[in-house]
Amino acid sequence: MALLEVDNLQVEFATDRGIARAIDGVSFEVNEGETLGIVGESGCGKSVTSLSIMGLIPRPPGRIAGGEIRFAGENLTRLPEKAYRKLRGSDISMIFQEPMTALNPVFTIGNQISDVLRRHKGLSRKQARARGIEMLAEVGIPAPEKRIDEYPHQLSGGMRQRVMIAMALSCDPKLLIADEPTTALDVTIQAQVLELIKKLAADHGTAVILITHDLGVVAETCDRAAVMYCGKIIEQGPVDALFEYPRHPYTAGLLASVPRIRPDRLPRLPTIPGIVPDLLDLPRGCRFRDRCGQALERCGQFDPELNADNDAATVAACFNPNPVVTA
Amino acid sequence: MSTPLLRVRGLTKHFPVKGGVLRRTVAQVKAVDGVSFDIERGKTLGLVGESGCGKSTLGRAILRLHEPTEGEVFLEETDVTAASGSELKRLRRNMQIIFQDPFASLSPRRTVFETLREPLDVHRIGTPAERRKKVEELLEVVGLRRAVLHRYPHEFSGGQRQRVGIARALALNPKFIVADEAVSALDVSVQSQVLNLIDDLQSEFGISFLFISHDLAVVQHISHQVGVMYLGKLVETASAGDLYADPKHPYTQALMSAIPVPDPKAGSERIVLSGDVPSPMNPPSGCPFHTRCPAAMPHCSTIEPRMQNLGSEAQPHWVSCHLYGDTPQADNSAD
Ligand SMILES: Nc1ncnc2c1ncn2[C@@H]1O[C@H](COP(=O)(O)OP(=O)(O)OP(=O)(O)O)[C@@H](O)[C@H]1O
Ligand SMILES: Nc1ncnc2c1ncn2[C@@H]1O[C@H](COP(=O)(O)OP(=O)(O)OP(=O)(O)O)[C@@H](O)[C@H]1O
Ligand code: SF4
Ligand code: SF4
Ligand SMILES: [Mg+2]
Ligand SMILES: [Mg+2]
Repeated sequence: MALLEVDNLQVEFATDRGIARAIDGVSFEVNEGETLGIVGESGCGKSVTSLSIMGLIPRPPGRIAGGEIRFAGENLTRLPEKAYRKLRGSDISMIFQEPMTALNPVFTIGNQISDVLRRHKGLSRKQARARGIEMLAEVGIPAPEKRIDEYPHQLSGGMRQRVMIAMALSCDPKLLIADEPTTALDVTIQAQVLELIKKLAADHGTAVILITHDLGVVAETCDRAAVMYCGKIIEQGPVDALFEYPRHPYTAGLLASVPRIRPDRLPRLPTIPGIVPDLLDLPRGCRFRDRCGQALERCGQFDPELNADNDAATVAACFNPNPVVTA
Repeated sequence: MSTPLLRVRGLTKHFPVKGGVLRRTVAQVKAVDGVSFDIERGKTLGLVGESGCGKSTLGRAILRLHEPTEGEVFLEETDVTAASGSELKRLRRNMQIIFQDPFASLSPRRTVFETLREPLDVHRIGTPAERRKKVEELLEVVGLRRAVLHRYPHEFSGGQRQRVGIARALALNPKFIVADEAVSALDVSVQSQVLNLIDDLQSEFGISFLFISHDLAVVQHISHQVGVMYLGKLVETASAGDLYADPKHPYTQALMSAIPVPDPKAGSERIVLSGDVPSPMNPPSGCPFHTRCPAAMPHCSTIEPRMQNLGSEAQPHWVSCHLYGDTPQADNSAD
């Protein structure tokens, strides 16, 4: 049994124009000590997936319309709020994209870390402070015994993100969800933070879900990845195979359009024509059909399911996937 | 050789920092500090560097959206920094900017048509019928359908809004455009569409660009020349080919190695810099990078390196770092 099993998850939001199904039958697993990347373009449902696991979907307008989220075997979609609150910050922790919104500006860093430790670990004030300083040191904050008494605005963006990581890890969670943890950071600082997440996950055996739209970050940090499009996972598998032999045309298109440093300048960047369809006005059949260069007749009639092909290392939801390449 | 379209010489922009009850100036942020470069006609200079290093300030100071503290800017033969009145208005037609956030830079209460017609109205170009025709042409150039003419910004996707922003910048047939993180907020598939568009426009209309971005791969793709900025100063400039094949400055090398590549087999030998970017209010003495530089030598903290050309006259490669050229003498460091 995997630590986390998301099984046919469906999440809906009520909007002025109707019910938007933001997540439509998403399934994946994360094992202990494993790092799963979730990638996809803006609005495809990455954050809604992670908020569902955290039990933080705003209700209304949102609701989990179907499926199960099992953590260590227990179905979280039925968990009462009180039990959920206990789970969050102890067994499951989350790091958000913008650390400034997650840190409280009127309390010192020390207050905020101690608070978590006292609530979830039952430490005394003094113990919590000592442990807080240790945590700050572990995430590489210089002079932690001084920094602990500072307010969030006194820290740089990179340091704030480290503080968030320290807080998220302070209770030794079994599962860490990091939603775009480095998007707001510069590349050199991003490199520091990713190293840190990798190292901590390895040292503590934590399972990590890393959500990002940056395929480069996934390639360097994750064991497996799931690619989302319009509320569905359209391909998933081990990172090596997924990046080298993408089977779904969207995965292939996405990988090709990432600008990368190359010895010779390409005259034109490869693109995916068209735009993502509106959730409230989805095309019939495959959601990628309007933009797909290899669509077949039945792509307009039926919705492809994630399908394992015996020879392929990844599973793709596509009627006409790229051929399996065996190395 | 023909004169470059844009010449920037010693451009400097300091922002006063006010403090205390009397709101007196207590310090200066040296956002841009003595920057010089040229941009040729129809070419793109890419500008990279970390957040807060002064990229946007430099772009705005060139357009005089910020008044420069010191230095000169020439567009062809005209001294931009000295221009005023009708001359400045004429210059502004020729120099445009595209912003990062297409949402924030478009008025929510104006339709696309109104947004695109405004610069034509302001500069009294053509009759109303001609203006309408021009707006329709602009839409076509940036690949938007005529049906969007009477829609508002919130009805568009990010990529479409950015196309409107580009169309607006093109309305007055400018010679020079500052693109400030123009594609940074876009998803990769949309980003590549917009980058190709910028490329096409450059070939068609011969526009010169200052292309600001923190994404080194995007900059490599779009630029002919590239400049690397650190704490308000250019530390390296070269042709895109030379800079990426053979980065000289330790900061450029660290930046390049920090880029995550979408290839799990790439096996990165990463230079992870320690420490944060120092404050531009109080930049380090000597070489501004010495507090984070893995190659720093004792004299780096006291003597500021100067730009030197490690390339040729025809293909210059400018670097300011003590690792290259002669060991500096303490007495020739002060200007
Ligand atoms: N509170 C809400 N009310 C209505 N719709 C919502 C709400 N939250 C999310 N959605 C919709 O759900 C879909 C998925 O959103 P989500 O935030 O998960 O995207 P994402 O993949 O995280 O994108 P990004 O990369 O921009 O963060 C979007 O269409 C979004 O508009
Ligand atoms: N109007 C202003 N008043 C005071 N300081 C300013 C002003 N504008 C910018 N600065 C400061 O000047 C420095 C350079 O800022 P600038 O916005 O040019 O950086 P940047 O390289 O564009 O960064 P980013 O990549 O985050 O956009 C920063 O320290 C910034 O805080
Ligand atoms: S199912 Fe058909 S339309 Fe969809 S991605 Fe595959 S080939 Fe393209
Ligand atoms: S001058 Fe010294 S500190 Fe500055 S980049 Fe060169 S080696 Fe590093
Ligand atoms: Mg999100
Ligand atoms: Mg900027």
